[in-house]
Amino acid sequence: MARGAGGGSARLSGRFDTVVFSGCVILALVASALPNQMRDPVASALRRSVVSPLVGLQKNAERWRAAWLESERKTLQRDTIALQLAQAQALSVENERLRKLLGLGSRLAWGFVPAEALHTSGRAEDVVTTMTLTAGSNAGVAQYSPVVAPEGVVGLVQTVDPGMSIAILYSHPDFRVSAMSADSAPAFGIVYPHLDVRPGRLTERYLLELRNVPFRSTLSPGTPIFSSGLGGGWPRGVLIGTIVDEVKDSASWSRTYIVRPAVNPAHLTSVMVLTPQRRSQGVGNIWAGAAQVQAATRQIVAGGDSLAREAAMAEAAARRAAMDSARRAGIGDSLRLTPLPPDTVRRRPAATVPAAPRPRPDTTPRPDTTPRPDTLPRTP
Amino acid sequence: MNWGSLVRTTIVVLILIVLHYTLRPLLAWRTSIDFLLIALVFAAVRMRPAAGAAFGFFIGIAADSLALGAFGAGALAATIVGFSASYMKAVFFADNLALNGFFLFVGKWLFDLIYVLMERRMHGTELVMQLIVWSPLSAAVTAVAGVVAITILRPILEVRSA
Repeated sequence: MARGAGGGSARLSGRFDTVVFSGCVILALVASALPNQMRDPVASALRRSVVSPLVGLQKNAERWRAAWLESERKTLQRDTIALQLAQAQALSVENERLRKLLGLGSRLAWGFVPAEALHTSGRAEDVVTTMTLTAGSNAGVAQYSPVVAPEGVVGLVQTVDPGMSIAILYSHPDFRVSAMSADSAPAFGIVYPHLDVRPGRLTERYLLELRNVPFRSTLSPGTPIFSSGLGGGWPRGVLIGTIVDEVKDSASWSRTYIVRPAVNPAHLTSVMVLTPQRRSQGVGNIWAGAAQVQAATRQIVAGGDSLAREAAMAEAAARRAAMDSARRAGIGDSLRLTPLPPDTVRRRPAATVPAAPRPRPDTTPRPDTTPRPDTLPRTP
Repeated sequence: MNWGSLVRTTIVVLILIVLHYTLRPLLAWRTSIDFLLIALVFAAVRMRPAAGAAFGFFIGIAADSLALGAFGAGALAATIVGFSASYMKAVFFADNLALNGFFLFVGKWLFDLIYVLMERRMHGTELVMQLIVWSPLSAAVTAVAGVVAITILRPILEVRSA
């Protein structure tokens, strides 16, 4: 009986489920079949009641997403602009470098092989001493050919293959070049790499040393140093660098100077390799002319600076004098709103009234101011 | 279902519905997670088939009110999924994550199938691609998200005894 009652309840329950399910399905089918004018009021009522808070949530989420996408887009734009700027700067540097190289090529005219300089990737703390050149014996490169850049000495070809070659830079321990200064009394010496560097000062490792300079020759900082052509390894007149300072060594019989190289190896992308014929025939004063132009430019800039400085000093002095005179006339205190610096308030009298020139101690009265004893008074 | 269970289920369903209208637009995936279907299956397996069908119809018609082109399609699909989930749960009666994930996968695929066919918007290759590629992908993503959500929300659902 109980089982019969339970079975009846289950049957009733199952029938109820089926009825509800069927009713929902029919309602859904009816809803999908409704014409628009009957469907819209139902949907609108749902949107304004039950779905309204959910739509608000979705609207806020969409707004967040739009803001996030906009931010991402702006970041992307900024990054793109920064990248383009960096590329433009790199292109500008490369363009300037290629222009210089073209200029050097036109000045050299013959006897050189252009090559790209490939840097060997190594540890950052290692000193770069060699580089690979993309020109070899097929292009006319020979062993010990000088490698130059528009700025000056780069290195020397060490190994030559048909399609490529390897050059040592001036920072290599085996690098030497006979050098001289570019003044009226040239001082000669040998340029070596600067190997005696304290730990932690790696940048000094790229400096050079001009050794064996006679004691009678004194070089001032900034003096350009060129290859002298002695020994035949390098042609005369290739710029090596400029004097930085003298190395003080009392035990030595000659002077040694620190030289700052004209070429920065980090900026090298293209170089020129001089052929043996060009090395033997010389390069004229291609680099000397460029160095003179640079020196003249520096002097002009310095001269302009000194003129501007003098003009500013004269203007300041005139202003000081005008304010002092106004103060003496009694109107300065009433007009002055801000206190003057102490050196403008107290003015030395000597500055306004020039002192009369005193006779020098070694000056004696002229003897012809007194009548000579043998001179008689003139009679009319 | 007693009152405590009803309250806990209601809380979880509300959380899932809120996620559907907040997290889903933020993610905006091509194969999006259907949190409404997770809520429907999650609630339906705890209800009688009739209640599951009614709940499905209610959720479906509410969702359809925002998509006038397919008004009624979602209601029909959700009704069938809700009733089926409740009925299948009563037949198999198991409560493990894998079975829940399977119910979610099948439920979402079935939902998409009914919805797309009722909507009558897609034809030909587009319809086949939707039913064979995008719907299963969306069902899989929904199943994974549902399993994760159930795992996270399990502390709310478990009855603590002293």
